Amino acid sequence: MFDFKVLLESIIEIATVVPKTLVLAIFILLLSLLMGAIIALIQQYKVPVFSQIIKVLQSFLRGTPNVVLLYLMYYALPGILTFFAGILRIEFDANSLNPIVTVILTFSISYSVFQSEIIRGSILSIEKGQIEAAQSLGFSFWQTFRRVIIPQALVAAFPDILNSLLVIIKALSLAYLISVVDILGQAKMVGALSYRYLEAFVGAALIYWLIGVILTFISNRFELKLRHGFH
Amino acid sequence: MLAIRDLHLSFNGNEILKGIDLTVNKGDVVTLIGPSGTGKTTLLRCINCLENPSKGEITLSDLQLNYETISKKDILKLRRKTAMVFQQFNLFKNKTVLENVMEAQIIVQGKKKEEAYKKSIEELEKVGLLDKLESYPSELSGGQQQRVSIARALALEPELILFDEPTSSLDPELVGEVLRVIENVARSGVTIVLVTHEMSFAQSISTKIVFMDKGVIVEEGSPQFIFEDSNNERTKAFLNHFKSNQTVGV
Repeated sequence: MFDFKVLLESIIEIATVVPKTLVLAIFILLLSLLMGAIIALIQQYKVPVFSQIIKVLQSFLRGTPNVVLLYLMYYALPGILTFFAGILRIEFDANSLNPIVTVILTFSISYSVFQSEIIRGSILSIEKGQIEAAQSLGFSFWQTFRRVIIPQALVAAFPDILNSLLVIIKALSLAYLISVVDILGQAKMVGALSYRYLEAFVGAALIYWLIGVILTFISNRFELKLRHGFH
Repeated sequence: MLAIRDLHLSFNGNEILKGIDLTVNKGDVVTLIGPSGTGKTTLLRCINCLENPSKGEITLSDLQLNYETISKKDILKLRRKTAMVFQQFNLFKNKTVLENVMEAQIIVQGKKKEEAYKKSIEELEKVGLLDKLESYPSELSGGQQQRVSIARALALEPELILFDEPTSSLDPELVGEVLRVIENVARSGVTIVLVTHEMSFAQSISTKIVFMDKGVIVEEGSPQFIFEDSNNERTKAFLNHFKSNQTVGV
């Protein structure tokens, strides 16, 4: 029988890792946005060598599941870091590498490619006419970028960025595979302790859902507010 | 005050401007007329370096530049002496009317906020939009948007204002309000280069008319000369075509 009391207890238990999961997701979001912006710039200006590398990386990241990437990084990263530490003559113990670092790096890299598309699309959505107007008024390249392009691109990209935060939160459910405990990881542990897996997973599902609902609500509210007066 | 010498420009191997020479004196209102696709707008955009001419020289008051060797810094200097009013208005959509007019004064000219505000109010009053200060461009009619963009240009006190078909994308009933504003600008003594298809307007406000066809200047002269006394076949054919199609007056 499904036990609602157990469900409630499970939810309370699972909820304790929600802040950690959110912080992790926001950190990954910001890092992937930063990398995405760099990728978008490299592609926009067709920087030789780098833009080719990014093309291959893009195709690779599109074609491989997150789980595979996570395992790949988990087993390869210590070796890679040890190698670079060796070159720089820094003391580095590969076993001391926190798996959270692996999770952050893996997801930041794999989502940066998608973020670059969001960033590119939002910048391209700004009419050329406004940019020309700024130029004709004597704005420099950076002034045009900062005062005209960025404020409008941010608004255009806002719903997509919040959506990708949700995608990252859900993708973090893979993190327990390399022993980082997020919402799903916590649910598994709660289930294992109480032998009530169904209640634990229903609890996890409800928590994910609630986060999704809240993010969608924020997205809609802010989009309207940010767009006030223009579209 | 403005002199262009031997200006050439090509797009993908097509020569659009084939050696333009143009002189504009201080206080002049020079109107470029001619068939569509003749390069009038392109010529105007060259003055503001929104296009990259392949050859030619431009002199604007104390600035003397060659398009082949022009630097980013020179382009900025040139643009800061001029202002442009576009066919599609091109207002900043995320800013209010007041912010649109203040923005470049603060960012480009480094004015203080209060100073820019004062100047903006002054210019917006001239174009009759004091009741729309807090409106966004999307809340305005085309004619109102174009008047804001004229105020935005005037607020910078440029030595030269370029008007690129300022009424061509307006509904017919909104053309008059914008033409009246341009007329006031012209009367105030600001130097203007204008591209328009409003022939009777061009005739009444211009000090000089330049007739262009197929990338060259065919002839230029006073409105009286071009509209009444010209013996050039191409000029006459173009103007006759217009006389029979004239729909909007001033």
